[in-house]
Amino acid sequence: MRQALPVSEASLPQLGLTLPRMVALALLALVYLVAIPLYFAQSNYILGVITNASILSFISLGVWVTFAIGRINISQGAFALIGGYTAAILGTRYDVSFWLCLPLAGVVAAAIGTVIGAAILRLRGVYFAMITLSLTEAVRLAFLNGGAFTQGASGIVNIPRPDALSVFGVTIIPAFQGANPMPFYYLAAAVLILGLLAVWRLTTSRLGWVFRSMRQNEELAASIGINVARYRVIAYGFSCAFGGMGGAFIAAFHQNIYPASYSVTDSVYFMLYCFLGGLDFVFGPVVGAFLLVISFELLHDLQQYQALIYGVLMISCILWLPNGILSLSRRRAGPAEENEEPAVAPAAEKMERTP
Amino acid sequence: MSLLQVQELTKRFGGLTAVNRVSFDVEKGEILAVIGPNGAGKSTLFKLITSFLPPSAGRVLFQGEEISGMRPHRVAQRGVVRTFQETTIFREMTALQNVVVAHHLRRRASNLGIFLNSRTARADEAAFRKSAAEILDYLGLGAVKEVEARNLPHGYLRALGIAIAMAAEPRILLLDEPFAGMNPDETERAVEMVRGIRERGVTVLLVEHDMSAVMRISDRIVVLNFGTRIAEGTPAEIQRDEAVIEAYLGREDDEVEAA
Amino acid sequence: MEQIIVNGVVLAANYALIALGLTLIFGILSFLNFAHGQMYMIGGFVVYYVYAIFGMNYFLALLACAMTLFVIGVLFETLFFRRVLRIATREENSMLLAVGTALLLENLALFFFGEKQRGVPPVVTGVYQIFGAYLPAGRLLVLALSALLVVGLLLFVQYTRPGRAMRAVAQDKEVTRLMGVNVDRISAMGFGIGAALAGLAGGLLVTISAINSGIGTAISIKAFIMIMIGGAGVVAGAILGGIVLGFAEAFGYAFMPGSMTYLLIFVGMILFLILRPQGIMGKPWG
Repeated sequence: MRQALPVSEASLPQLGLTLPRMVALALLALVYLVAIPLYFAQSNYILGVITNASILSFISLGVWVTFAIGRINISQGAFALIGGYTAAILGTRYDVSFWLCLPLAGVVAAAIGTVIGAAILRLRGVYFAMITLSLTEAVRLAFLNGGAFTQGASGIVNIPRPDALSVFGVTIIPAFQGANPMPFYYLAAAVLILGLLAVWRLTTSRLGWVFRSMRQNEELAASIGINVARYRVIAYGFSCAFGGMGGAFIAAFHQNIYPASYSVTDSVYFMLYCFLGGLDFVFGPVVGAFLLVISFELLHDLQQYQALIYGVLMISCILWLPNGILSLSRRRAGPAEENEEPAVAPAAEKMERTP
Repeated sequence: MSLLQVQELTKRFGGLTAVNRVSFDVEKGEILAVIGPNGAGKSTLFKLITSFLPPSAGRVLFQGEEISGMRPHRVAQRGVVRTFQETTIFREMTALQNVVVAHHLRRRASNLGIFLNSRTARADEAAFRKSAAEILDYLGLGAVKEVEARNLPHGYLRALGIAIAMAAEPRILLLDEPFAGMNPDETERAVEMVRGIRERGVTVLLVEHDMSAVMRISDRIVVLNFGTRIAEGTPAEIQRDEAVIEAYLGREDDEVEAA
Repeated sequence: MEQIIVNGVVLAANYALIALGLTLIFGILSFLNFAHGQMYMIGGFVVYYVYAIFGMNYFLALLACAMTLFVIGVLFETLFFRRVLRIATREENSMLLAVGTALLLENLALFFFGEKQRGVPPVVTGVYQIFGAYLPAGRLLVLALSALLVVGLLLFVQYTRPGRAMRAVAQDKEVTRLMGVNVDRISAMGFGIGAALAGLAGGLLVTISAINSGIGTAISIKAFIMIMIGGAGVVAGAILGGIVLGFAEAFGYAFMPGSMTYLLIFVGMILFLILRPQGIMGKPWG
């Protein structure tokens, strides 16, 4: 009897873009792209919050890809910083159009990530986590001590908003004007949706299975011809690209970037969003980020109680749903039982510690 | 030229020499077993041949090309595939998914093609699923294709490990103690399975402890003791070989059985 | 130069204390205590309240600090950690708990203690001279007590029954359990002691530098650096890590701005780990 597999673990035929799922996605898209902007058109604040949540989810989606190869990545803040500075420097000093800065930021971040990744990806578990955490700090300090190039603690300000995007004289996207949050909202939404599509495609393709095999048993994967080192770097580079592009967006959104823009805490949060949503689900980082960002804002009125309740809520979530919120969607068959006849026994959610 | 050539293979760990100038050849199509009492160096030799450990001296040639010290996935690319001693499988995938993923070396689509779901990629997928189903059926796992590997009973896991290895289209399959921990019935089935593998044109080199199975299945046997090769020959010759008998009796190993 | 060395020794001793607590927890529970820095911070605040606010004896404050953190550590292990370990399907999910705890403790501290920097009046006054370098009595006290606690812990794990049981659990949990040791109780105790060490380090250092509720992350990062360099899960590694970091900081701060010092420390460490991922004394992991 086949158990219901979570989205990321299912192969294509089983993915079940079933009718109920498609309807749910369509409804979600409707709310996200139409209902919310319409209803909150007058509230810069709310649009800003959702925009923030969108781009943070996108960045966190990158971290999710690293989880897919079995590594705990606490360096995403570093690459957001690298991407942000790339866009900032190109935009303020060389007048490069934002629409070029965005992908370039991703490329630069991916390139740096590839080089560093090649060296550190053979570490695993907490060792990899700690070294990526150090990387976040190291990059922050590097930008702080970057002299005239990065302008140190003063950062780079007055980053221009995205200009108009014209191809052959035809304006596809008009310039982002003044304080209007709407264009940023839709840009963040577009970036997030494209990102989700890319990661979903990655995870359901053969590459996704290669990653899965590496996560579950690197030695076995190597023995059947999978170039583990190379695929690890591909995954990490992909992840860093997301960080870089997200950073570029935020730089243009806030129109500034400082070494302090992304710290260890931010890297930790990017990782946290994945965890809270559920590591086994492509939508995990989105759920995690939206939930945390929105609940933080909702608690705003509670002032000094905000941080406290936030912390308590989070730990409760962790204690009751350590596998993430989306894990609720999986049928759980109770405590592990010995299987005598596998053909008929339901595949139980066995929690076995890998020795 | 022999398919696999082991030449003067040596491995030292600090002051201890685990494998000492071992040489032998494996011919295409044969089933060769490496046996020896506990601590004879079989495991180390296995790791050296499968390139999971670099040798201190000596080398391993496959089809004339040196593979010693090559990275594991490259060795697999050449057609040398190993199984693992413990039940090493991809636990959170079904049996079918396990074997499909092991077809990795047979893919014709590029990474970009795979990402964009090109026609080649889709053709690959279909071919892999068909081949995986066939391999599983052949090895007696047809009924449990859709069961998650971690829920399979122990006896099936060894077969799944072999199915995974077979999917990688090996020219030579290296089995790490394939009969370990099996009762006579299971051993008989496993022996049949190994014969079946040879019938599919795959040469087999196995390292094993269980003497009776080895005597039944092997064309030739190499015997190790204290890291050195002490005998080589057919099962009949080995059973009569004095050095072998001495090695096993001298160690008070009671697993020696006359076939 | 002598001043640098003297500074380095004081830092090394205090840092070693932090690293020891972290490595103890890691060794016994295979758990990276992300909240270690927050426990250090809470220790500092306990001493602040008991010693500076309530005016009690400093050593009493230290005792209160150790006991508070010990209880926190034990509660954490029994209530949170064990539960999550049972339910989590992926190994990485315990890190989620680590991070969540850090955030919880930090937010709790922010709520109860506020954001202001706190310092305490000096416990001892006077300045000594050693080889031409100045050593304020306060620092000497920190050095002496840190060293004492480090030695105390070493003796504890070497010669006492629970200490030896902890080492056994760190080596092989299953075998130790089979030998009749109550692994659950040892684990809880181990966490408690690790937390207490962090708290004590904070309680000691608050006498010479101020603390606020936000320093947790920075301290945790330092702790991670130390066990990465020295080797995680190994007591000698923690001490070595403390020495390396303490002296690196002392040297660095003497010649260049603080942020540059740490940039060099990080880059150096990352390069070192690429060559030797297990640190100086760590076991090569499988």
